[in-house]
Amino acid sequence: MRLRDYIEQSFSNLWKKKLRTSLTTCGVVIGIGALVSMMSFGEGVQKNVTDTFRELELFNYVGVFPDAESAPGESPEENQPDEREVAQRRILNDEFLEEVMKMEGVEAAFPELRFPAQIKFKDKDEFGLIQVLPAQVRQFGLVKLRAGDFYTSDEENSLIISDSMLRRMDVKEPETAIGEEIELHTLTVDSALFNPASLASVLQGEKLPFAQESYTFTIVGVAERTGFGGPMPIRSDVMIPPGAAENMKKLLLTSLWDFFESSEQNEGYSAVGLRLSAPRYIEPVKAKMEEWGFKTFALVDQLTEIKRAFLFMDMFLFAVGMIGIVVATLGIINTMVMSILERYKEIGIMKAIGASDGDVKKIFFFECEVIGFLGGVFGLALGWSVSMIINQIANSILAGQGAPFTDYFSFPWWLCLGAIAFSMLVSLAAGIYPAIRAARVDPVVALRHD
Amino acid sequence: MDSTALIETENLTKIYSTGKVEVVALKDVSLSVSEGKFLGVTGPSGSGKSTLMNLLGGLDTPSSGKIKVEARPISELNKEELALYRRFQVGMIFQSFNIVSSYTALENVAFPLLFAGVPKKQREHRAKEVLEKVGLYPRRDHRPAELSGGEQQRVAIARALINRPKILLADEPTGNLDSQTSSQIVQTLAELNRNQGLTVIMISHEESLLRQFAHDVVHLRDGEVIEQENIR
Ligand SMILES: Nc1ncnc2c1ncn2[C@@H]1O[C@H](COP(=O)(O)OP(=O)(O)OP(=O)(O)O)[C@@H](O)[C@H]1O
Ligand SMILES: [Mg+2]
Repeated sequence: MRLRDYIEQSFSNLWKKKLRTSLTTCGVVIGIGALVSMMSFGEGVQKNVTDTFRELELFNYVGVFPDAESAPGESPEENQPDEREVAQRRILNDEFLEEVMKMEGVEAAFPELRFPAQIKFKDKDEFGLIQVLPAQVRQFGLVKLRAGDFYTSDEENSLIISDSMLRRMDVKEPETAIGEEIELHTLTVDSALFNPASLASVLQGEKLPFAQESYTFTIVGVAERTGFGGPMPIRSDVMIPPGAAENMKKLLLTSLWDFFESSEQNEGYSAVGLRLSAPRYIEPVKAKMEEWGFKTFALVDQLTEIKRAFLFMDMFLFAVGMIGIVVATLGIINTMVMSILERYKEIGIMKAIGASDGDVKKIFFFECEVIGFLGGVFGLALGWSVSMIINQIANSILAGQGAPFTDYFSFPWWLCLGAIAFSMLVSLAAGIYPAIRAARVDPVVALRHD
Repeated sequence: MDSTALIETENLTKIYSTGKVEVVALKDVSLSVSEGKFLGVTGPSGSGKSTLMNLLGGLDTPSSGKIKVEARPISELNKEELALYRRFQVGMIFQSFNIVSSYTALENVAFPLLFAGVPKKQREHRAKEVLEKVGLYPRRDHRPAELSGGEQQRVAIARALINRPKILLADEPTGNLDSQTSSQIVQTLAELNRNQGLTVIMISHEESLLRQFAHDVVHLRDGEVIEQENIR
């Protein structure tokens, strides 16, 4: 039998039972549609995350911070008696920055400085985290700007504010904020209040040992989003140059923990970010930092973790999507078995006029494949349409919260072809039992006159 | 044994075992049919006529004994080879016509060519030719429900002939037809036998019909050949 005849035969046989065929195919369409949406969502998330990482060149980043456990005085002497450890201990200060910049592959080193402040703009005020970022950071794409530009020197009284913070300040158009003045109010510990007399009143809650300082800045840029400004993926609301920051009185605070620890750690920055020229420098730089007694953080280390998480997510989405496929498969088997019972005599006739068992099997397999193919194509179309609709809805909801338009679903070519191929494969599997059963029909029995 | 025989059977036996009961449907049947003959097979109901027919047609396999067609041992063929044998060597027609009810006359006649891998255009062309031969060309686009019993049997005959077999096996082809139509159908078979050298084996319990057209008539009873008579 010719391939063309198998296909024509399948279509005409299925066409004779239009309703049943379309219902069965519908099952496959829904199954494949659900699976495609699930997988494309998984792909979309993965693509968005890795694209963002790549865009922000986060794979070239190493975060360095003090190892709290081996901090001076805390390290258990009996375990680490060697002198070298103590001798090589360094502090994350400007000297460290200078030294580390001399290392091969280190493009930039910038201190991790973050402190809370009251941000006042027009008549609104909000509480936010201020991040100190050197002007040179602009060239690394760590910060994407929606409007304006980066400050050009480390000394100017300019800042960059995040789009979402602006929105909280009721500014809808980022452009309008450029050139405007903004005030930062920082908290400082009022040392004057740290005398026993005043402390008593502090403890009675009459007066807090904090003072407020006010500084005026000019908004030069509005950030769309920021990458990892430090070892932790924290998005800061405002970025200011280090020179300006130095003149400010402030409480250094990346976490509440820092606040309590600050007395011991005051001697250095809480963390330093290193920008490497290529990922291959990550390992040697990390090794050196660890030798110096620091802890390091590199996103590359997390990559396998992240990949495993994605794999897990993909598997989960696939499993959920498979429910529909399993149901659709049962539908195909059911339809085919029904069809065999109805066409019992016809199968007997086919055999009597010279069809081999293989011919009979193939006829049924081809019918399954036609259902599988149609189910795959329309399922892909359904999955795609549903994803597009969900994407539009999600984006229109999130746009109100300042999120840029994002494709939450991704349809790589392998997913599209894979969906159709998978649909046909599943249908083929569904056809195995019916096909074997059809081939086993005994023509003598089937043709015996009723 | 006749060395010029087209079909030969040797101690052909078929035993059906359903559960514990064994039914001997055919027992030690040895026959020889020369090319171009019209053989009639008759016998009471349950005597094993259809069983013999199914064995000769390669639809079933014997429990023991041999079938040879053109000296080729049909009883030893595997399933694939049997399919090819059915496709090209024999044509079969049945009491209940056994044509596909959803196909037109033309599609039914062309059906065997599908498995022979003949392209569609040729299939239609040849089917039309054969339909012409049995006088059904004008009814080619009708479905079985729109045809009389005799016409349906003619469609079945045309289908049996489309692959140009040497042997035509007919199992009670007139069983569902009135006497006049019956006689027309058998007439057609006899003409095919006479004009085209087609070897015909026809089963019927109407002995008179066989006597009218067949060269030889074999009588079966309880699966055994009880008499072989030469008529002409
Ligand atoms: N599949 C089967 N299983 C068991 N017994 C069978 C089977 N097929 C036929 N038989 C038995 O074999 C015997 C011969 O049957 P067969 O159909 O050959 O008779 P027949 O001569 O064609 O009869 P009829 O004239 O009624 O068609 C019968 O007794 C029948 O019951
Ligand atoms: Mg019979």
